[in-house]
Amino acid sequence: MHSHVRPNTHIALRLPSGILKLVETTPNTNINLGKFGTFSSNQIIGRPYRLTYEFLEQEDPKAQPKLRVVSAAELHAEALGSDYAAPTEAKDDDAPAEGGVAYDIVGENGEVIMRNNRLTVDDPSRQTLSMDEIEELKKAASGSGKDIIEKIMASHLGIEEKTKFSLAKYTLRKSRKYLKRFTVLPLDIPILSEYATEKEAYRIMELRDDSLCLICSWANVHSGATSRVMTSEDGTSQIGGGRWLVVDDTGGLVTAALAERMGILYPPTEEESSDSEDGDEEGLPAEQNGDTPVTTTTEDTHMPDATTDTTAGAPNGPACSQPRSPRKPRQQHIPQSSATRNTLTVLHSNNQPNLSHLKYFGFDSGDPTPSHPLYTHLKSLSWLQLLSPTDDPTYFEPDVIPEDTLATLKSSKRGNYYRKRRRWERTKRVVDETRVGGFDGLVVASSMEPVTILKECVPLVKGGGQVVVYSPNAEPLVQLCDYYGKERRTAYIASQFGQQNGKRKQNGVDEEDEDDFPVNPTLLLAPSLQTARARQWQVLPGRTHAHMTSKGGAEGYLFTATRVLPIEGKVEARGLRGGKKRKTGTDTSAPA
Amino acid sequence: MAPAVSPFLDPGTSSSAHSLGILQLKRDHLIPTVLSDAASTEYAEGNVVNTRFGSFTHSSLINKPWGTQVLASVVDTGSRGGRSKKRKREANGEGNAAEDAVGSEEPVRGAVKAATTASSGFAHLVPPTPETWTLCLPHRTQVVYTPDYSFIIQKTRLRPGDHIIEAGAGSGSFTHAVARTVFNGYTGLDAPEEENDEHEVNGTTSRKRKRRQQRHGHVYSFEYHKPRAEQLREELVSHGLEPLVTVTNRDVYADGFCVDTEEENAPNADVIFLDLPAPWLALKHLTRSPPPPALVKSISSDPSTPTAEPTTSTSAPLPPKPFRSPLNPKTTTRLCTFSPCIEQVQKTVAAMRSYGWLDIEMFTMEHKRLEVRRERVGLAEEGLRGANPSPATVQEAVQRLRDVEDRAKVFHGLQKEKQEQMMRRAEAKKRGEKAPAAESEADGKQKKTEGLPPSKHDRLERASKDSESRALFKEGRLVCRTEPEIKTHTSYLVFAVLPAQWTAEDEEKARRKWG
Repeated sequence: MHSHVRPNTHIALRLPSGILKLVETTPNTNINLGKFGTFSSNQIIGRPYRLTYEFLEQEDPKAQPKLRVVSAAELHAEALGSDYAAPTEAKDDDAPAEGGVAYDIVGENGEVIMRNNRLTVDDPSRQTLSMDEIEELKKAASGSGKDIIEKIMASHLGIEEKTKFSLAKYTLRKSRKYLKRFTVLPLDIPILSEYATEKEAYRIMELRDDSLCLICSWANVHSGATSRVMTSEDGTSQIGGGRWLVVDDTGGLVTAALAERMGILYPPTEEESSDSEDGDEEGLPAEQNGDTPVTTTTEDTHMPDATTDTTAGAPNGPACSQPRSPRKPRQQHIPQSSATRNTLTVLHSNNQPNLSHLKYFGFDSGDPTPSHPLYTHLKSLSWLQLLSPTDDPTYFEPDVIPEDTLATLKSSKRGNYYRKRRRWERTKRVVDETRVGGFDGLVVASSMEPVTILKECVPLVKGGGQVVVYSPNAEPLVQLCDYYGKERRTAYIASQFGQQNGKRKQNGVDEEDEDDFPVNPTLLLAPSLQTARARQWQVLPGRTHAHMTSKGGAEGYLFTATRVLPIEGKVEARGLRGGKKRKTGTDTSAPA
Repeated sequence: MAPAVSPFLDPGTSSSAHSLGILQLKRDHLIPTVLSDAASTEYAEGNVVNTRFGSFTHSSLINKPWGTQVLASVVDTGSRGGRSKKRKREANGEGNAAEDAVGSEEPVRGAVKAATTASSGFAHLVPPTPETWTLCLPHRTQVVYTPDYSFIIQKTRLRPGDHIIEAGAGSGSFTHAVARTVFNGYTGLDAPEEENDEHEVNGTTSRKRKRRQQRHGHVYSFEYHKPRAEQLREELVSHGLEPLVTVTNRDVYADGFCVDTEEENAPNADVIFLDLPAPWLALKHLTRSPPPPALVKSISSDPSTPTAEPTTSTSAPLPPKPFRSPLNPKTTTRLCTFSPCIEQVQKTVAAMRSYGWLDIEMFTMEHKRLEVRRERVGLAEEGLRGANPSPATVQEAVQRLRDVEDRAKVFHGLQKEKQEQMMRRAEAKKRGEKAPAAESEADGKQKKTEGLPPSKHDRLERASKDSESRALFKEGRLVCRTEPEIKTHTSYLVFAVLPAQWTAEDEEKARRKWG
């Protein structure tokens, strides 16, 4: 998917400070990195991802800035903070040799003696350059910023006294501040979640990477492109087929992560079969163009034209300056949300789903592009449509206008008519198929009370399907675990069988049941609660340790369970006593 | 006989014969079983899974909708063919949890006897997922657990259609998880061309032809230990995953990762996962161009390298065959190594730097499960199970103290009275008088104790009586806490990427194209 930067896609740039910046690669535009400089998008389009570029020094500050790819050896040498602070080119060969020996605290030959910090003076006056002078340097300097760092380091009085580690740290800190570099990263789920966590964690329910990956695993979400479409015994409802039900209040981040695992997040590219003949290129979407480096010169010259006939980038507006290529066959209408397998159904509490994060993947839920896989594989409906479709006006069939009358209408009216009919068809199809259920799994990341969601959604999951609920805080899920817990299940079964045992009063049982058993606890097996956190470590020679600080905030909890089909009638549990010490008679279960 | 489609990928609506099903007894107590409708030598009822919650015949498990609650059957477990428990444990292979008594598949004369339902005992039949499999797989080596593999899959950007190299297949938990992730069909199991899909594109024939050439995800699994590789292979066949996974028994330190299959340039990997004791020794095979021999030597001749056979094998001269990179030349290669010790990490990272890997990051995964329960505290809980009978509030404590005091007072009063009475009686005896009536004495005692707080015996009796009418499931405070045992360290996860190769000529071409 992400072999190289394609035009009109979103990418992420990592700046030396570690900050991520999301930009769109519209050809022939400038990308502004603030104090780091500006460069043309054409300088990175078509190049592989993960390269680090550096602004080259230039005589003329007005000239188009030049970029240089920084080699791996160079990057490492700086991160390691070797004795020679800023190594330059021609490092490709000697770097490895250093890797083994030179960074050890004490070299085997006794050459490197570790300094200690006994003599360190903590005083800002040791930096002889004043702030103004540094500012001046910054103004004067063009290019990579290495010269500034060198000067700053040179004018530090105590540089000789610094221990090796503190020197490395100092250099690194200065590099972060002054180096004019950036790394081009593909905009994928981990990067997007990192970006959103840094920028607006509240909008994604403070969902971290490490919780997101657990959601994907426990939901058992995977490509269902080849799944069999099977119907239940009654022959009406579909069961399975790789369909997941999602309640997403994270602005589409969860939906995007699930879609990525299903292989329907990224617009189609042809890189898998890049041995394409040149003749095919014309008709293919823009993304493919960069894929075949071996092309004739004539092709190269008119390539930019082809990119304007864009499909993937369309929702973001065909911003290219070139005129549209005239060749555009009238596309046959593809019904939206019409896929029968490998689909995501999003339940939303507003009129429209909030899936704004999908825009980074070329999908605008308000105006989807038919070529995007999500166009057919993403379905959405509101809670009203799910629970009470007859209260929703879009569920009712608009009047049918006979063909001959239609032909007499104005084209705008006719278009309107078709649009309405299609909307109705889509809504009806999605609502009806969602209501009969049979989903492979349920994924919930919502600020709504989870019990109320599960009450409605768990029955829609097929037997053996997975249910996963994320919450930034433990309490809502703790309560959920209690409602599906062992004791409550036992009590529920007892109440269902009218085993009064003198426990309950006959009157008002129903109301009480609603309070005591808001959900049917026998529908979920093995409800569990978990939390995870990935802790990052610094790995530098002789300086390996866990990061000293990291983000606090919501811990992020996950409720997981399996949907099961309880047997009709009363079931007694049993256990063999003796042997291992274990509680028996714990599982008592029964009717639906 | 393998199932048509793996139950891991598309379990269908119900269980079927020759396919893996999982019998879930408790949350962490699952028994994997390849269901078989054949008769068994051991039981008249055919193959049987014996558990502490009863015996389950395969016939009662086949063709049941997934998730069904299954009742135990009455199976005569006493008179089976004298197979000792020990032998059962020795039998290895698929679905071999201790309780799993899946016998040989030799058919015996006569049909499988229909089993009758037992009066108690049940389990749930659930479809296998990598998560449930991880909980119940037969351990061969250290298992890569769900939190770790989830994070690895996320961090390495593993997606449907990717190729992954896994070295050190171990118990196969990671294999199952990544097979699920990369899966997007395989030869003979292509995504059906839905009508929508055909319309999706402009409809040019060239495009359609290309769609069929879609790259299928694949797992290239390497295992040094031959029996383990064999076991994994058998396991994958019985799980229907063998079209997705190529298991190779090989020493990857010496022989690298290239395999000869029908596919060109296999493994053509996008992602690499190394669960090896010395990952740094395998890195020399994971380059885009032949690494300089001096570099290879400096890394493998590191004196601190374990003196196992890896060292000897790496010091052997480079194989004469031409260099072939196992990496996909078009994509960024993502690498993850999984090592329990920090020393391994340091060596690995140093080697990664030398070979030009970038964005080196290390993580540890801290995962815990929480248990939720209700904590009941209070004097009303006295004598009840699972509760704390100490006072719930200060008021309750004070009341209890008062009660004790009151009882003591009365008791002492009674004692005193008794003593006095005895004294009186003794005196009367001395004087030769008749003793006063004893009845009145007993009456007086009863009168005195009547208004008293209940005795412990009474309290216990009342508590147990009350508990029957109480709704204990919603009483007490709802709390959660970490489970009694947690895995505090699994392994260090080191991630790195290797960008696609980019030469000056490529740059020149790109410049001409894009300016």
